[in-house]
Formats: sequence, structure tokens, C-alpha cells
Amino acid sequence: MAVLHAWRAARVTPLGELHTPPRMTAVLVRLAVQVVLVASLWHGLYSHTSTTAGLDEGQAVTYAVLAVLASRLRELDQYAGRDTVLQHMHFGTIVYWYLRPLPPQRYYALRALGEQLYGLAWALGGFAVCLAAGVVEPPRSAAVAGVFAVSLLLGQWVLYYVMLVLDQMCFFTIRNNSAMLILIFVQNLLSGVYAPLWYFPDWFITLSGFLPFQATLSVPLSIYVGRIQLADAGVQLAVQAAWVVVLALFTRWVWRQAARRVISQGG
Amino acid sequence: MSGSIEVRGLSRTFHTTVRRPGFTGTLRSLVDPERVAKHAVQDITFDVAPGELLALLGPNGAGKSTTIKMLTGILTPTSGECRVAGVVPYQERERNARNIGAVFGQRTQLWWDLPVRESFAILRDIYEVPKAEHAARLEEFDDLLDLSSFWDTRVRHLSLGQRVRSDLAAALLHDPPVVFLDEPTIGMDVVVKEQVREFLRYQVEQRSRTVLLTTHDMTEVERLAERVVLINHGRLVLDGSLDDIRRKFGSTWQVRATLADAHTDVVPLPGIAVLRRDGPRVVFGPDGPDAPTVHQALKTVIERYEVTGVAIDEADLEDVMRAAYVHAEAV
Repeated sequence: MAVLHAWRAARVTPLGELHTPPRMTAVLVRLAVQVVLVASLWHGLYSHTSTTAGLDEGQAVTYAVLAVLASRLRELDQYAGRDTVLQHMHFGTIVYWYLRPLPPQRYYALRALGEQLYGLAWALGGFAVCLAAGVVEPPRSAAVAGVFAVSLLLGQWVLYYVMLVLDQMCFFTIRNNSAMLILIFVQNLLSGVYAPLWYFPDWFITLSGFLPFQATLSVPLSIYVGRIQLADAGVQLAVQAAWVVVLALFTRWVWRQAARRVISQGG
Repeated sequence: MSGSIEVRGLSRTFHTTVRRPGFTGTLRSLVDPERVAKHAVQDITFDVAPGELLALLGPNGAGKSTTIKMLTGILTPTSGECRVAGVVPYQERERNARNIGAVFGQRTQLWWDLPVRESFAILRDIYEVPKAEHAARLEEFDDLLDLSSFWDTRVRHLSLGQRVRSDLAAALLHDPPVVFLDEPTIGMDVVVKEQVREFLRYQVEQRSRTVLLTTHDMTEVERLAERVVLINHGRLVLDGSLDDIRRKFGSTWQVRATLADAHTDVVPLPGIAVLRRDGPRVVFGPDGPDAPTVHQALKTVIERYEVTGVAIDEADLEDVMRAAYVHAEAV
């Protein structure tokens, strides 16, 4: 029953952002600068070639700009809001997560959902502006747009679990700063935020195939720009769904272990 | 709903790894960790009746917070059992959560970036409190805690006193019959402390909430608590009224009487010794473990002798508790 009203806990982070206009201005400026720089960089890289790694200039710029916009989906400043799991463990306020009729795992999921929807609004706004300005190409067909949307949804779901695993680490290690720094780099590299995975050597692409990161962003963006054809998209969607299932089971098990640790480290 | 708390033989043991000193010791600890058991709470039994305010006292590290965490369902006991409002907290966490409110010292459950009222609204949704009920309760709390003067301020900008008042309100917004307060007034100024005490008194007397309070502030205990449970090293040392504690550990009173007749024979009374005499001025003090309280002694002296003046000196609760803690250490 609790979930009937408790879903409104999803508004926690967006509300915090809306109450902090300077943070929103900073995001706007950063996104604008990043998009301009990334688009310029990729235009420059393609000035002496037409196709590289199976991508032409339009595809590469579209991929890179969409990656910048999509990275905004889960990149809120929770640290400033003292609302990271790390901080709750540090300040001992994590106990309140266990004192409410809404289980901590459900609260975490609702909060993340709110964040991702809020981030999606930013990403869609940025996409609309970039599309209107001709910085990115539109999807090649309605079918591509539809499959991309499904893949992006699955990718965000995978990303949610990857972030959750990191946060769950705090229950066992107290701090996750180093892991977070490593993950941000690995996530950005292996998901294709820094550069499309198609530019990397074969062994690297093979290796990343065994990890969940490319499922978060590289797959949906590759579908969007046409680097993964619709005929091959089914397999990719299945892999993404498999990661969702595996990570869901794993994180569920970790939540149970974490509940036993909350006192000794958070109490 | 009955807000009773029943605790029976409650124990909790933590197992921790001991790091050996020095570089070599640290390496050895990595390879061959030494595990030790720490008995945070041992075989504690007590009850709290519905509508009663009980002060759970003890020095730092005595096991107070661990006890509260078991009663709130955060922690599972190693042995023993407890029921809060009829629910075994660690077995039915969600059901228990609806019956209890909690404030843990200066740890806030409010959202740092949100105005206080937004935090209240999120808690209202989480606890599924109807909007009209929520508004009425907020109005009631505002009358007692003066919340409206700052509830549109973001939590990060609140003073400590404002934040603790907000946290108290947040803990009670869902109308729980049982409230756990772990050092709620720590670090607050006297004015806010008094406001919080009034609020708690109101909640106990007018709303019949059961309150379990831990504090090191003896003024707070004196003003609020009907009963006290004293624990040390995880064991229950005493369960009784403040008078019981005074009787056991605070026998440092003196009754100074001026007799109407300076030649009256003064003899020791049951449990009351004559400490000094100077003409008509006599100083009585406690004698032995069965000494009466200062008020009983005063009554006895006045009944037994004709006096023209009388004064009492009594150890305050701080002194009494210090004696109790020292006694508990020695046991």
C-alpha cells in the first residue's frame, strides 16, 4: 500500500535542484559549452576524412553530442544536497531510511526514478535545441526512433543498477570515493561518452562486451545513428535486458546484506 | 493502539576485528584477523507503559543507543525479545515504522536542499497521512514549536535549534504512539531546550504518547521523566523512580534545624544521624543504606522536635547520577 503515495518521494532530487537556481544555471552553461566543444572537435576530426570506424561525420557528431546530453540523465549534484549514500553513511542519517514504512531499496529506486526523469527533461530540451540548430541528425525512421527509445530506457535501467552497486559499496567500505572516480572514468570510456566504442581496437570492443557499461549508452546511441542496424538491434536489446535481470538480482541480494551492516557503520 | 514497550532479556553482541599495532601487526591482521566479541547490551529487561516517559540513562558507551536501535527495528538482537506497540520491531520493520517516531541527536532526517515544509510533505506521502490530518497536525506543532517562522527555509540554512524542532515535528507527523529520542536536545541553548521539553510534556500528557528518552542532561530528566532506567556496560543497573535513584545514590542531603529549646536531647532517628550540634543548631544527615529521602527526613525531624528554623541541602541530580555511574563502574 505504501507505494500508492510514496511514489511522490521521486520528487526529492528534482525539488532540490529547482530550489537551487545557481546549480541549474551551471548545468545549462556546462551543457552548452560541452556540446559546442564536442561538436567542434568531431567536425575537426572529420575535416580530412569522410568515414571512420563505420561512422560518417554526421553520425559521429550526432553520437558524441547525444552522449553529452544523455550523460546528464544521472549527473545531479547530490553531494551538495548531502543526499548521497556515502554522506548518509558518514553522518549516520542512513538509519532513517530503515525507520520508514517505505523500504530503503524502494526509496532509493523512487529517488533515482525522479532524478532520471528530471535529467531526461534536460536531455530532451538539449536534444530539441541541437536538432533545431542542425547539430544532430534526426533519427532515420520512426522505427529507429522507437527502438532507440526502448534501448535508451533499458540502458538507463542498467545505469541505475551500476550506480546502485557503487552506492551499496558504502555499506561495506564506508567510503566509495575512489570507486566512484574509477567508475566515472570507466563508465564514460566504456559506454562511449568520451568517444564511440567503434573507434577502439577489436580486443577492447570484445572486452567491453562482457561488461554492462556499453549497454548503458553505446548501444542506444549506436542504434540511433545507424551503426547498429535494426536487424541486429534485437540481440542488443536482449543483452541489455539480461544485464537488467542480472544486476537486479545481484543488487537485491546486496540490499539484504547491507541491512545487516547499517548499524555498525551508520548507527 | 497501545504504545507499550516490553523488553525481555535483550542482548546484542558485536563482533569486530582487532587491528594489531604497528606495520607488522597490521599485516598480520590482514592475513590472520583477530575477532573479538563486544557485548553492547546484556540481558536487559524493562517495560514502558503506554503514555509514560522513561529516561534511559547511562554513561557514553553504556548501550543506550544500541538498545534504542533494537527497539526501532534497525538492529536485530543476539538474544532476548522486545515488543513495541505489540510489534516485534526487527521482524516487522515496516509495520513497526508506522508505530514509532525517532530523533537521533543532531542527525536530521530532513532533506538538506528542501524547505522544511517540503520535507514534511514528502514524509506525509511516505507515511500516507491524509492531507487534512497532516495540515491539522502541522498547525498543532506550529503552535508548540513555532515552526512557521522558518518552515519555508531550506534545511541547510536552519539553526541547530530550528532543525531539531523540525526533526521532532517530522518524527511525530504520522502520529506514532511511541517515540524514541536519542539525545534530542544535545548542543541546544536553554530557551530552545525548554521549548522542546514543553513539547515533549505535551505529547506525553495530552497525546498519551510513550516516550523513551536518552539524555545526559539531568535537568531534562528531572523535568520530564517519571521513571529512569540506568544501564552501564550493557547491563541494567537500576530501574525506578528518581526518588529511588536519589535514595540509592544521592544520600548526601543534610537537614539543618534550629531547635526552639537549645537544651533538648537530640538522639539519632531511624536512618538519620546527627552530624553536628552547636547549641540549638543541629545538622542531620543520612545514616546507612536505608536512609530516608531528604523530604521524609525533614518531615521526621519536624515531627520529632520543636524547631524554629529549618533548611535542607540536597545533592542535585547531576551529583546523584555521578554517584550512580561511579557505583555502576565499581560493580
